[in-house]
Amino acid sequence: MKGPLAKTAILLVGMYVFLKFILPLFTAPLPASLIFLYLALTFASAMIFYTMSGGSLDEFMGPVGRFLTGSGQAGIAGTARILVFVLFPLLVGWQTYTRLAPSDLPPAENRTIHPAPPGEFVGLANPYPRTPENIMMGKGLYAAFCSPCHGANFDGKGPAAVGFNPPPANFSDPGTIAQLQESYLFWRIKKGGVGLPVEAMPWKSAMPRWEVELPDEWIWKIIMGEYDGAGQSPRTWEEEE
Amino acid sequence: MGYKKIFNVALGLTLMVTGVGASCVFASNPPPEGETGSVAVRLFLTEGAVPADDPNAAVWNTIEPAEFKLAPQVHWPDRIQEVTVKSVKVRGVHNGEDMAILLEYADPSEDAADAAAVEFMVGDKMAHFAHGQEMLQIEGGDVNIWYWKKEHGKATDMTAKGFKTLRPQENQDVSATGAWQDGTWRVVFSRSLQTGDALDVQVTPGEWRNVAFAFWDGEIVDGDVKEKGSQKAISSWWYLRAEPPPDNSIYGYVVLGIVLAAGFEFFLVRKIRRGNES
Repeated sequence: MKGPLAKTAILLVGMYVFLKFILPLFTAPLPASLIFLYLALTFASAMIFYTMSGGSLDEFMGPVGRFLTGSGQAGIAGTARILVFVLFPLLVGWQTYTRLAPSDLPPAENRTIHPAPPGEFVGLANPYPRTPENIMMGKGLYAAFCSPCHGANFDGKGPAAVGFNPPPANFSDPGTIAQLQESYLFWRIKKGGVGLPVEAMPWKSAMPRWEVELPDEWIWKIIMGEYDGAGQSPRTWEEEE
Repeated sequence: MGYKKIFNVALGLTLMVTGVGASCVFASNPPPEGETGSVAVRLFLTEGAVPADDPNAAVWNTIEPAEFKLAPQVHWPDRIQEVTVKSVKVRGVHNGEDMAILLEYADPSEDAADAAAVEFMVGDKMAHFAHGQEMLQIEGGDVNIWYWKKEHGKATDMTAKGFKTLRPQENQDVSATGAWQDGTWRVVFSRSLQTGDALDVQVTPGEWRNVAFAFWDGEIVDGDVKEKGSQKAISSWWYLRAEPPPDNSIYGYVVLGIVLAAGFEFFLVRKIRRGNES
């Protein structure tokens, strides 16, 4: 197993083991498509290296050529050769079928959950002081208007949440309001689902356009009550700098 | 072996390995499934007439239903916090010309004001599930609503684009029949797949449509109907598709793929052998 072909094979297996099993020990696991891309690059590099001179190319391709032509083969190698020749066309056939077979899955939905807000809703500060009275009032308003969907526990599991697609946001999840500024929430509550841009699929959202029913003051206080109740803090400008 | 030939062989092998590898990688990453419950209604292709006005036809029991949870309508006033109908089972068939959709749901009492509706997006523009109400950043389209009420005993084919725009259409193309038994309503809606009316949803086999549902419990409580108007049980958009007829041309392409791959192998080996001889 000293030929360049064997070396390439060992290199590819080593690369795969490294990317798939060793790297995730230190960082997030790589998606399969990225691992494949790295392996393809490794293979391409090996190909370039071995095709640089005639000698190395012969050395590299020799075993492949001998395997494919079956010259001087017997036993296991001969059987393997027949197997490869039978399996490859079948694999191509199977791939053709899976690509063309009609799918029963509905269209994929690449919905943006937190799209960019319109300019006028960027960087607004809550004009009401964070006093216990204001927070209390905000929580009361939340209970009346928001909790049916977003839940009394701010977890997105209100009694009316179950029928909607997409489901109402879970404010206790660190991936929702903790990642957003108060002015973002102000936009989302005021304009509701119908105020979303196209990438967020506004036609699916059940979030009411609260500006037609609630004064701005109530909305700001609801935001305060929401953060306090969910045990989260709004993202601020200072943190981003 | 000549360099050029060897290079060709190398290139062929690379393409082979890359293609097969890529197929395996992408085959192992299927699109994510929907959350709990169904995401789509499938109108099964059948031969002969569809059970257009028979909610208890035997064929319905042979069809696997899609099930959708329902929420009280809290999106716009007048809201309701508690509704009777909590979920609906939906079955569908079509025969290439006509379709029938059966809605099955629990409602403890049979009342004159009990009602059910199916809503569709119409045309290419996306429409909000709440009666195609106005969206602020994009222009929305119409919705087509098929409405059935027990006391009317028939369907009304309706159109809406925004609140307070709901109106019956001039061309009434939909029929509906309901049957209540032991606390369960079975309501069947039927129509031809295509109507030629620009206000109607046109169902083309193989293509996805957006569909939503609504239900009203017409029980009289304290002299008033319990659920009416915007006070109803609703779903947001889900998908619906009429099953396309089987397409046998796929198998032709599969055979072609196998023949091409085998031919590739044959020429590859021949080329290497000739290279070796020369």
